[in-house]
Amino acid sequence: MKKPEELLPLTQPVFHILLALADEERHGYGIMQDVATQTNDALQLGPGTLYGCLKRMLAAGLVEESDERPDPTLDDERRRYYRMTPLGRRVVRAEAQRLAGAVLAARSKLAGGNI
Amino acid sequence: MTPQSPAISLYCRIYSILLYAYPREFRLQCGAGMRQVFRDRCREVARTANRLAMFTFALHLVADWLTTAVREGAAAIWSAGRKQSPRSVVTEWAVTIAIYLFATTTLVQAYVIPTPSMESTVLVGDHMLVDRVTFSEPGAAARAILPYREPAHGDMLVFLYPDDVRQTYIKRVIGLPGDRIHLERQQVVRNGVRLIEPYTQHIAAYPDPYRDNFPLSPEGSISARGHDMLEHHVVNGEVVVPPGMIFVMGDNRNNSLDSRYWGFVPRSYVVGKPLLVYWSYDAPTADLQEWNVNHVLDVALHFFSRTRWDRTFRVPR
Repeated sequence: MKKPEELLPLTQPVFHILLALADEERHGYGIMQDVATQTNDALQLGPGTLYGCLKRMLAAGLVEESDERPDPTLDDERRRYYRMTPLGRRVVRAEAQRLAGAVLAARSKLAGGNI
Repeated sequence: MTPQSPAISLYCRIYSILLYAYPREFRLQCGAGMRQVFRDRCREVARTANRLAMFTFALHLVADWLTTAVREGAAAIWSAGRKQSPRSVVTEWAVTIAIYLFATTTLVQAYVIPTPSMESTVLVGDHMLVDRVTFSEPGAAARAILPYREPAHGDMLVFLYPDDVRQTYIKRVIGLPGDRIHLERQQVVRNGVRLIEPYTQHIAAYPDPYRDNFPLSPEGSISARGHDMLEHHVVNGEVVVPPGMIFVMGDNRNNSLDSRYWGFVPRSYVVGKPLLVYWSYDAPTADLQEWNVNHVLDVALHFFSRTRWDRTFRVPR
């Protein structure tokens, strides 16, 4: 079993894709929308970036493919859904902790600032 | 653009072609998903009906395509050492490069406007992308998948200048094959009907009876092709456009060398249709025609002040 720490740090798209899958399974477009919401539209994943990341995340065992089914809020076309694996959950937790540590360090160095 | 419009299915087809720039393995694994995501995103952007959002989306998409196609290509080569033969790597890159060249030369092309003959519709220094698909002469198979149509009255047209095909001109379509054209005191009369042309500009210039009452009293800088037109294609004081030819004029009517002076544009010289002004920079004609150091310095120093920001990302009509 791989240790989550070996996969850190995550790239920004990978981190947000994992967060998007933390609460539920989503298809590609659902992930894209959720990432845009998480980041206030600052990170708009293009199709190439999204699927490039998903492919690597599948290979690393961070996510897995769920079934293909239509999304009731869109049309009746079948879409491939993705879900997070237990490893993926540990990795995104570890990354969040790492980032929290970085923010803490920044706070202590930049005392008086608004961060 | 409605969410179900033919434009969106067209974009999806173009995107499917662009997907061939990715390595085969990646395309097979992710292509279907990428197409779906692309279409869903297109619909969402179309619903906002916001031009700026559409252009941002398009630019973002092209950037995504360029970077990830190279990245996946490199990843394929990296893993190739283990499983692929070198030959298939070469093939994949050849395909990637071929698709890049196809997209940048066949679908769209960038031009800069060096002369004021189309003012005030397009200005000197407008850098524009030209859609090379719409007016191309299609084969039977291509006709089915891409949105071809013939140039129509009032369309802006980008074409090779018949007297010197190294130059590319932009004018407006006034006459198509079979049309009878003449001018009466600066007004175009086509097939007996006076045209209403809101896009033209008439700035008082030197008097020129030929320019204003074409094709009466020929004089001025008429080229050999222009004389040929006047000799063989004038019937009862009107020019009759022959088959396979197009009669074009500049919007800046009093200051435009156009079909009045150098004759018809052959249909096969048509390059395309202006798509969008991606950058408009206030510079003199000479600097835009030939590369020179002063122009580069000028752009470096005055990029922000001389760029006409209000024209950037405009669709010329």
